[in-house]
Order: sequence, then structure tokens, then C-alpha cells
Amino acid sequence: MARKYWKGLEELKETTEFIKHKENEFPSQQTVEAFLSNEKLDETSTGRRDFLKFLGFSVAAATLAACEAPVTKAVPYVLKPENVTPGMPTWYASTYYDGSSYASILVKTREGRPIFIKGNKDFGLTKGAVNPQIIASILGLYDSARLTGPTENGKLTSWSLVDTSISKALKTAKTVSLLSNSIISPTLQKQIDEMSAAFTANGQTLNHIQYDAVSYSAIRQANQQNFGAAIIPSYDFSKAKTIISIGADFLGTWLMATEYVPQYGMTRNPDAKWMSKHFQFESFMSLAGSNADYRGMIKPSEQAAVISYLIKGIGGNCAVSSVLNAQVKNIADQALKSLKSSKQNSLVVCGSNNVSLQLLTNQLNQLLGSYGTTIDLNNDVKLFKSEDAKVIKLANDVISGKGPEVLLFMGVNPVYSLPNGEAFGKALKQIKTTVSFAGFADETASLCSYVCPDHHALESWLDYQPTNNHYAIAQPTIRPIHNTASVIETFSVWAGKSIRLGKDSSTAYDLIKSNYSQILPLGDFAYSTHNSCETVPSNLNVLTPFKNGVLGKLPSASALEVVLYQKSAIGVGQQSSNPWLQEMPDPITKATWDNYITMNPVEMTKQGFVTTYDQEHGLNLATVTVNGKKVTLPVFPLPGQALNTVGIALGYGRGANGEAIGKAAFQTKEYGGHELDDKGGLKPIGANVFRFVSTENGNLQFDTVGSLAKAEGTYAIASTQIHHTVMGRHSIVRETTLPIFTQKGKEAYNPAHTLQKLNKEGHHEEVPNSEFDLWDAHPVEKIGHRWGMTVDLSSCIGCGSCLIACQSENNVPVVGKDEVRRGREMHWLRIDRYFASDEEAAIGQRKNKDTFSYDKAEIAAENPKVIHMPMMCHHCNHAPCETVCPVAATTHSNEGLNQMAYNRCIGTRYCANNCPYKVRRFNWFEYPSYKKFTEVNPAQDDLGRMVLNPDVTVRTRGVMEKCSFCVQRIQATKLVAKKESRMVTDGEFATACSDACPTNAIIVGDWNDLKSAVYSSSKNDRAYQALEEVGVKPNVWYKVKVRNEDNELLSRLQVEKPIAHHEEKKGHH
Amino acid sequence: MKISNIQKVKRNILGLTAVFTILVFLLFPTSLWADGGGDFKAKCSSCHQPHKNSTGPKLFQARQKWSTGGAKEGSIYQWVNNWQTAVANDPYAANVSKWSATAMTAFPELSKEQINGILDWVDAQPDPALAAGGGSGNVVNDPAMEATEEEGGGFWFWVILSIIFFTIILSVGGVRRQLKISVGEGGSDDEQTYLSELKTWAWKYRLPVGLGVLVIVISVIVTIFQGLYRINVVENYQPSQPIAFPHDRHAGVNGIDCKYCHNSVTKSKSAGIPSVNVCMNCHKQINGEGKPFAGEIKKIYTAAGWNPAGAGKYTGNTKPIVWNKVHVLPDHVYFNHSQHVVVGGIDCKQCHGDMTKMNETVKVQPVSELNKIEGNVKLTKPTLTMGWCIECHGAKDVPLGDGKNGYYDEIHRRLRDNDKSLYKKYLKDGKVSVSELGGWECAKCHY
Repeated sequence: MARKYWKGLEELKETTEFIKHKENEFPSQQTVEAFLSNEKLDETSTGRRDFLKFLGFSVAAATLAACEAPVTKAVPYVLKPENVTPGMPTWYASTYYDGSSYASILVKTREGRPIFIKGNKDFGLTKGAVNPQIIASILGLYDSARLTGPTENGKLTSWSLVDTSISKALKTAKTVSLLSNSIISPTLQKQIDEMSAAFTANGQTLNHIQYDAVSYSAIRQANQQNFGAAIIPSYDFSKAKTIISIGADFLGTWLMATEYVPQYGMTRNPDAKWMSKHFQFESFMSLAGSNADYRGMIKPSEQAAVISYLIKGIGGNCAVSSVLNAQVKNIADQALKSLKSSKQNSLVVCGSNNVSLQLLTNQLNQLLGSYGTTIDLNNDVKLFKSEDAKVIKLANDVISGKGPEVLLFMGVNPVYSLPNGEAFGKALKQIKTTVSFAGFADETASLCSYVCPDHHALESWLDYQPTNNHYAIAQPTIRPIHNTASVIETFSVWAGKSIRLGKDSSTAYDLIKSNYSQILPLGDFAYSTHNSCETVPSNLNVLTPFKNGVLGKLPSASALEVVLYQKSAIGVGQQSSNPWLQEMPDPITKATWDNYITMNPVEMTKQGFVTTYDQEHGLNLATVTVNGKKVTLPVFPLPGQALNTVGIALGYGRGANGEAIGKAAFQTKEYGGHELDDKGGLKPIGANVFRFVSTENGNLQFDTVGSLAKAEGTYAIASTQIHHTVMGRHSIVRETTLPIFTQKGKEAYNPAHTLQKLNKEGHHEEVPNSEFDLWDAHPVEKIGHRWGMTVDLSSCIGCGSCLIACQSENNVPVVGKDEVRRGREMHWLRIDRYFASDEEAAIGQRKNKDTFSYDKAEIAAENPKVIHMPMMCHHCNHAPCETVCPVAATTHSNEGLNQMAYNRCIGTRYCANNCPYKVRRFNWFEYPSYKKFTEVNPAQDDLGRMVLNPDVTVRTRGVMEKCSFCVQRIQATKLVAKKESRMVTDGEFATACSDACPTNAIIVGDWNDLKSAVYSSSKNDRAYQALEEVGVKPNVWYKVKVRNEDNELLSRLQVEKPIAHHEEKKGHH
Repeated sequence: MKISNIQKVKRNILGLTAVFTILVFLLFPTSLWADGGGDFKAKCSSCHQPHKNSTGPKLFQARQKWSTGGAKEGSIYQWVNNWQTAVANDPYAANVSKWSATAMTAFPELSKEQINGILDWVDAQPDPALAAGGGSGNVVNDPAMEATEEEGGGFWFWVILSIIFFTIILSVGGVRRQLKISVGEGGSDDEQTYLSELKTWAWKYRLPVGLGVLVIVISVIVTIFQGLYRINVVENYQPSQPIAFPHDRHAGVNGIDCKYCHNSVTKSKSAGIPSVNVCMNCHKQINGEGKPFAGEIKKIYTAAGWNPAGAGKYTGNTKPIVWNKVHVLPDHVYFNHSQHVVVGGIDCKQCHGDMTKMNETVKVQPVSELNKIEGNVKLTKPTLTMGWCIECHGAKDVPLGDGKNGYYDEIHRRLRDNDKSLYKKYLKDGKVSVSELGGWECAKCHY
């Protein structure tokens, strides 16, 4: 048995559709009408004669127009700000917090408008890590659906009117409730406290409740029981030699994932002294699970048993049953072995919001001695302070008409995210005064009597205290675009302490600054703002010695357990109108623009669901019923999903009543325009499964039980999964295990490609690939620069930050679901996700072609290993695309770049056809102007265009485009060096993707600089080039993925090299 | 081509003036204030003028003024080095410091000799108010214009000539045919038409006719392509401007450095149109009252929100000036000014022409004009076209390994040490051109 890698079940099974399509680079041919269609032509029916008339006229018009140069205007500043030089970027350090993601960021602005966000590698908790949501949030700033000012009953009004009415309501109301997300701003918290004190003094009550849509309240409660303090500790994954995660996606969305990812990345370097061993027990294949060395499939109800088994194995007492099935037991035994050797350098985390499970987790960590090493109880996390029980009570009070007189919503959208949100929304009318601070008229805000829109995060001053000893500042990077106001100012005005000062108000700034001087009496505010953060002295938490908690109800087993998870792009759905995120392929399923029911294909076959899908063929629909609530969604085949469980992503189904949350949040039709339902309303994307959230002991539960029934019809899914197939060229991905890597040489796990040639004696001899060359070499080696890149498959976790950063940097258009379905997505960088099966232990070491059966792989597909592989233009020094271009639109530079001159390109697409990596993208349409795309992409209207990078051309219809290695950044870096009369230093140049990579898996630089990181990385024993045998001499190297596992099959195959190698030679190409 | 008498006279005057100037230059100890002019422009001209008060007082005969005014010996040099020291030491200087609320920048680096150089230079400047009327500055001798006219004349000459020839051929043919008909030589029964006659004739002389047709076809194609290449190429492009800004007055007469106003030229890709606050640095004082251009300066005040009444103050009511862009590159071209000015060491005038003589609103200088600029490579393609860029990149050399730029030293080292034959190939024409280092590659300008 050997392991085989495949990109989709279609490839694995070789369905007829797959075989039919796999020969085609572009899955479907576009019709002439569709290709020629643009807004105007499409709306009139054009006959041939009319067409020719149009043609004649437009040729004449174009000729005439061309003779007259249009007058271009230039408007210089009247008073130029000191730190702005037109044409040069200005960077600001700031902090991002949206209620669930937190990161220290750097914002790039051009002529006063922010255009790019990246992580701050020099300062902050997150060490430069960001996630796709943070990078993409820049597009939300320019969303034309944002509220342009305060509203009263849905109508725009003025701040003075709103302030008067609300202040009056606040003064007279007996009970006021403020429902907010977790407040980590010291200044805002202080204001709320002051307001509360004033209310109490006045005989009123202010009831402040913090609420997170996805709650982690159980961790706080478990720590209250164990240590006497309701805290969330800081976890340090960089010290954990053994990581055990029970359903916690700590690389994607769990707690402070942006802090954990770089820590985790540090432990995944096989060249370092030690490499962490990561075990994941989960139901849904999460991002963390896909990176695990060992992954056990369990149902949510089996989580307790796994922890109990481990507790008992370590030598602790546990009353909970620890019966596991053979497959899980096997992995748990491995985990025990690893835990026993790493002891206190272990970390166990659990994703469940069940207090008992968290108590068990704490018990295991206590037994291991992790407290004090990998877990810091003193520097606790201030995020995620959700008080679920109070939220549920408030909701029930409102529904039963016992609500407060004034209800304020800050950073929350309970009508969307509460299990009983619909009823809550209906009952809101009964409350005299409801106020939302949302920037959009979202589900909750549209039902409120007043909306006092807060600034976008990039427009406002804010301060944060994410952990006990960390203080951070967010500074504005643009003058507020709309007539919005900082919440801090709004509170101050309502408290009668300041007056409205409009867009240039400094109220929030003054308050934050004065609060800063109290927190850091010796601090320099300007300096702290420049760095965006400071370490602050903190008091140690008052903790009691560890005391076992009282176990309550554990998740109960059922025939069908439903896991509600978050996608790394959409999260809890705050940015569902962000088309970059909607179109980002999910790291695991590679599906875009939808949520779905994930189910193991083994089970799907049994239940009669189709497990394959493509452009024409959708997936079967099914109805999941939980607590009497029903949701109908397509059933998506996901290997690795535990049997008898299904997973559904939260964060979809936004704008169910057509709320104005942005045009990209709704389904669109094939030829433009939004899909409408029977009543003429907009159709949301996917379905809202927050309604399935249940409660246990007052805590919101995201694992629940239900039933599933097949429904009528099929549903088309737009996935990038089966596009760009690797066609069995299995020299693309290489992997090995840590024991092989440390004990054997390069020959075992990363053999060089050889070809046969005749030697002088006339015998065949194996010689390295490099001896064969079709063309003369470009003079790039050692002369001038040679820009290169290495991608470490061991540290790449597949999060997708690089993809969004690339989209933001390079003005990559959004094409919408329909076009993705046709395989016409435009992403310059994609992340190929390869599932492995035990049919083939490693790439290139396959079984005999005659006896090998794809069908057999099906059994192993139940719980596959996963490899994430970022794939972008390889800038081949012998680029096949360059030789076939009839107009020399794509050529090679003497710095090793494969250049693309859009203005030369005539769109023959020969280059894409000839590219072995399939990374070239064709502009099938005029994306900036055709309505089909302007409707899904707010980056195409007047306001949205502000997000475009002015240094990168917006491509037009009919030309090819592809990764340029961020040539605009190369040129800028070189220019800085030239002006300073020095060579470009290593690390000075970074592409958008390498900038965004939270684990530093992508290294770029000048390969001709022999001291550069990229040069030494490319000379590493693990370095190889994808499809090296093709001989295109790319400037991109990958590094062999090393799993910290014992894999007998793999070690036998890799060590018994001669046979395996011989077989490889026989393999077809 | 005719040269009118007036022009002749003007030329003579010009020549005489030149001779006179040279004589004057020779007679004066020029070396003394040779640097003075440069120093003045670099350090003083943003605030001072020789003959007119601006941000700072006029400098003409400042030394005499100080000594007659009772200033201490050498006090003026102290003032320039650091005016505060001078104020502390000399009551006259203390009085001078009250001239304006704006404090003067300290120039500790200037030696007494340099300061004397500057002031000597200033004292030697003629007063433009006195010189007005007798000026000979603005006469532009423009052989280029005449050359174009000549070329244009040539073109029409050929057109007319060909029309004449064509008419002659036709009439001769017609006469010949008439003759033939009258003689009755041609057709006894059926009359030959023009067309069939032409066919017979063409067939008879098929070789020359074929060659001729080929030549005509090729020239038509070439002409069409040349025409297409000129689409949207507007040499001499000179849009109207909201303010009639005279570059000759600012950069020429007053000697303000280009980079003082277009200050992002060394930092950014765009040279930048100066923001109004830069204009106000000088025009707070210079309001042009009573001059014909006072109205133009008023426009700056409107833009800046400046109320010049009394001591003057900013009202905060600003109104940006909307200029019409002169040098317009298409969106798909990336051009960086700082690359060319700082790294390449190119002077502004090499691409924009001599602005010190530009007494009208800015226009794109035709390449024939630019070719006259000293130090310019002679180019043929129209200004601001890709051919123009390419031509220059092919001809200009990049000094490698001269120790002046660390970047190019390292590039030179890599080239010299690692590929001698390539280096030799580059050096065949005695230089390493921009194009040989990649200056002709698409992604250097298009991305």
C-alpha cells in the first residue's frame, strides 16, 4: 500500500466528467455573445448588420478620439501635509480588532488613502501575523453600502437631532442595556464605567452585557472553578513540543489564532533542534487539523473520552468513560507516548464551549505541568468576555416584552447571530429606544430606532488591552469618509462632557491620550503610537491553587452530530459583503461563495448523495433539522469528516431580509444582476446556522445534534478544487517524516531528478536534469539580480493570507461565483490542497501502473493527510510561455523575472496553454465595468476604486495576467538602494505574499546575493523544484514537507530507494 | 526662406550684446563671485532677491547699507552664520531682526569669502526695473521652427509636383488617344476603352509597372503605420492653465531652483506640482501690486485663502488650483522622476527644455528643441513616446564601478567577476548602456 495524492474526489475516482475536462486548460469555451457582451451591447439585441455598424462606428470614433488627447487635470494640495509625498506610500502602525480577530498591523496609504494592510513584524503580540479577514478589511472601508451618517428610523438625519433624542431617552429611562462585543479598549471601558456610575447615582441602571457571536465562556468558567479566576490564559505554542487539540482550530479562528500561528510556525521547522508533534482530534477537517501530524476523527460526543483516555494514560483519575474506537485509540496512544516524553512542554487545547470538557482539558494540562510553561495564567487574554447566560436572558426578556427602555448595540448583531434572533428582532419594536453603532444598516441596526454609525477601524483612534500586560493603539489612516463618529466621542457627548466636533473631532484622541498618561505615566504617546503598542506593568492575577472542578453535562451522543465551524475567510460573517473573502477558496474544501453541509464521502455514498460535482453538475441538497429549525444546503464531500457528523459553516445567510449590508453579500445571476426570491427580495449567500446554536449550562454550544434528510434538487458549487489538475505529474509535492529526514540523507526523501543519456561508451547513464538544455541560458545567474522564492511546505499552513494580500496588492479582480464555477477565477496565487491517501505513501513512489487501482484509494480517503501548496508564477528561466507568445508580450528579464506586458498581449492564450504550473489568468471580461462583476465587486464603483494600488495597472479585457513577483515592489526597493548608494539588502524586498505569511513559509530575495536567506534556503537539502523534470528552470523552490510522524510505509519506500526509484522511471508522464 | 530686416537687426543686436557681455565678464574679476551666483540660488533665493524685498529684504548693496547704518565690523557675516549671535552682539543687527517676524535660517557653513562672493554677485546684478525696456532676453531664435516649416514646404512641394505630373500624364495620354482615334490607327470596328488600353499598356511594361505598384503599396503601408504611430502623439502640447505662470521669471530672472517648487522630484515618481503653500512662501510678500500680473497672483491668494489686507492672514477658506497636466503618460507606464534625477543625474532641462527661457505656459518640448540642450543625446522620436525613452536608454551609459554609487559598484563587481565575456560584449561600444543593464525590458516600466 502506498499513499496517493489527489486534488479532488473527481481526480481520485476518475469520473467521466473529470476525464473529459482534465484535458482542457479552460473548462469551458465561452460563447461569442458572452465574450463580446458588455453592458450596452448586452441590453440591446444586436443583429449582424447592427454589429458591423457598431464596429464601423467604433473604429471611426476610436480613431477620431485618439487624435485628440484628453485634458488631464492635476490638483495639488493647497497645504501639503508634512509626511505626504505624492507618489510615495506612507505607512502607519495601527491595531486591528473586530471582536474576534486581533493583530498589530501596518497600513500603507497613498495620497491619504489606505490601500494595503500587513502585519507588524517589529512590534506587538502577533509578530506580524494577520489573517485573510484582516487584510481584506481594507476593502470594507470603501464599501458604498456603509452608512453615510446617523439615521432615525432608517432615514438619514443629523448628529445634533440624534444626540438630543438619545440623550433625553437615556436621562429618562429607568433601565438601559448595552449589548456590546468584548470591550478591550481601556478608554471605552472607562466611559462605560463612568456612564454606569452616573446612572446609579441617578437611580437608573445600566446593564452592560458583553456578547461574542462565537463564545469561549466555558474556558473562563472552567478556570474560575480550577483557579478561582474567570480568565482565558495566554497559550504559548512556541514552547509546546507536543500539541494536542481537541476540536480547536487554533490556526484558523480559535481564540487568538493570529498570535498562535507564528508560534506554531516556529516549531514546525525540521532543521531546528526540535519539531513539535501535533495531534488533532476533531470532527470537521479544520485548518489546524489539516496541518496535524496525526489526526483522529471523532464525534463531538467523543471528545470527553479522548481527554479522559489521555488523563488516565498519564496517570490521573477520571470518572469519564474512555472507550475509543481502534483508529482513535491508536492515535491517542501515539499522543500519550509523545506527552510522556515532552511532559510540561505540552499543550492541550479544546475548542468546545462545554465547561466540563474545558475542566477535563485543564486537568490534563495540570497533570502534564503545562501551567507555567506553555500556559500563562497571569498574562491573561482580555478578549472573549462573552456572558452567554446574561445575553440569553436579555434576549428572552426582550422577546417576552420585559426588555429595558433603552437598548444599545455596539459591535454586535444579535438579530443575526442569536439562536432566537428572529424573534428577538421582531420584539425590538416594543422597546422605546434602540440604538446601534453599526457601520451598516445590518440585521439589527435596520430594526433600531437610531443608528449612530461608528468610524471604520481605519478611520478612528482607539486603544486596546488585549492581554494583561499589553497595551496597543489604533490610529486613523484616513480622514473619515462619511459623516460617522467615534463611539468614544458619542458616549462623551451623551454624557454631556463634550460636543460634536464633526469629522476632524479630536475628542476620542484626547480621551485616549489622557487615559494613556494614566496607564503609562512615563510613556510617550507619540512614540507608542509610532510603534502601535507598549508593554504595561500588570498586576498578577489572584489565583488559587489548582482544584478539580465539578463535571457537569457532557455532549451527548446522537446518530447525527452537527458541528458549527467558522471558515477562515468568513468567520462569524462580519465581512460577508467583502467579495475578496467570499471568493477566497476555503483552505480545505476550496469552495467559494457558499456554505454547505460537509460529510464524509464514504457516508455520502452510503446515503445516496453524489460525491462529485463540476460546472454543470451540482451537489444534492439536504435538510438538516436541529431543535426543530431547518436549513437546506448542498451536501459537500469532505474527506476527514468524522462519520455520523456533519459540519456547517457559520457566518453565512447574512442579509436574509435584504438588509443593505453591501451588494457582494447576495447571490448573483449568471449574466449579472442579483438573484431574487419569490417576493422580489435579495437572496442571501448560504444559510444562517447561528439558529442551530444551543445552550448548555448557560453557555452557547456550537456542537449540537440533529437529523438530516435528503431534499429535492441539486445546487451548483463554485470550487477551485478540481481546476488546474496536476494530471498525475507527481513530482510536484514531496513529503517525508521527521525520522527519515533526520536519519537519512537527501537521496532518501528528496532525490534529484535524473535522465538517461548515452555516455562515450554508448551505454545508458543516469545524469542530473541540469545537463539537458533546449535553450541557451538567460544571463541571470550571478549577474545583476536574480529574484527567487522558496516556499517551505513544512511551515505553510494554507491559511490563505498570501492569496488575499496578493489580491489587494495587485488589483486582482473578483469574478463572482458563476465565473469561478467555470474555472475563470483570477487569483494570481492559489493554494493547492492535496489530499493524500494511504494508497501511496509519498509522491513519486507509486505502485506498478498495471496493478495500481484508484478505487482502492477510496478506503483511505476517509481521513487523509493534507498538504497545502501555494502556487504562483515560477518565473522559469526557460519559460515555456515566453517561447510561444506570437507578439513577445511575455518575455524574460535579466533579473530572472517572467515579465508580462499587458499592452502587447493580444490574448491568444498560448502561454497559459503552455504553462506547466497553470498559473496564468486570462481576462475574459472587462471586469471593472461589466455589470456582472461590478455587482459582486464594490472595488469597481467610484468609492471602491480607492482601494486600487496606483502602481499596478488595472488589466483590460482580452489580456493575460499572472504573478509578477510584485515587480512594482522590486523596482521600488532597487530605487531606494540606488538612491542610498548601496546594494539591496537581504530582506528589504518582500512580495505581498511573503509579507503576509504568518509562518514565514515564503522567503523571497536576490538569489545572486550569496548571503541571502533565499539563496541558503534554496540550497537546503529539502529544497526541490516542482516539475523539475520538465526542465523549465524555475526561480521558485519548494521545501519538502516533513511530518513529525512515524510512517512505516513511507520509511520503507523512501529507504528502499532503488526499487522505488526504478518504479518512478516507469511511471507515465 | 526669408529673413525680414527686423529679424536681421535683432540678430545683430543679439550678437553685439553677446560680445559686450563677454567683454564685461572678462574685465571683471569673475572668479570672485563665480560661486556666488550658485550659492545665492541654492541658499538665499527662496527668501531673498537682489533688488526686491520678499520673505527677506533685498540684498543689493547690503554691506554698504550695514556699514553706513552703523553696524559693527563683520557683523553681517555673523548674521548670515547665525543671526541670533549677531543680534546679541550688535544693536544694528538687533534692529534688522525686527524687519520681519520670519526668522532667517542659519548658515554656519558659509565662510566669509563665500558670503562676500554671494553679495558681490548680488551687487553685480542689474536692477530689472531699470533694465526693463532695453531687455533683449526674450527674443527666441528658433531655427527648429524654420526647419519644420522647410520640411512642411518640401512635403507640399512634392504633392503639388506629383499632381502636376499626374495631370501631364493624363493629358498626354488623352492627346495621344485622340490622335490615335483621329488617325484611325487603333480600332477599325471596336473602340478601345481607357481601361483595356491601360491593361494592355500595363502588360506591355509589366516589370516597371509591377515594381512601381510594389513601391506604391509599400509606401502607402509605411505611411499608414507612421500615421498610426503618431496618433495621440502631441508634440508642442500646451494646454491652457488657470494661472499664467511664467517659468522664465521664476527660474530664470529670479533664479529659483526647479527643485525648490517641484520638491518631490528627488523623492517620488512624480515631480509634483507645487502646493499653494510653497507659492505663498514668496508671494506672501510679492503681491505684484500695480503690475499687469497682479491678477494672477491674486488667484494664488484665493487658492490659499490668504487675505493680503493689512498684515495679511489666512482665512482657512482654501480652494485648490486645478491645473491642466502637460506631461501626460498613459496609465500603463510607470515613470519615476527620482530614478532619473537622483540616480541618473539628469538635469530637468534635459527632458523639459530650458524653463528659464519659457515665458509662456508650459508645453511639451519637441525633441528637436531638446536635442539642442547641452549634454543631451540626440534623439529622433517624438518627446514622451516610448521610442523616445528607448532611444535614450539605448544610448545613455551607466557609469559602472566608478565608486560613485554603491549599487552600481556591486552590479559591476558581479558582472566583472562572474561573466567576463558578457561584460566585454557590453563594453564593445565603450560603455555599458542603460539597455544593457535591462533598461529595455518591459517590466521596467510596465506593470
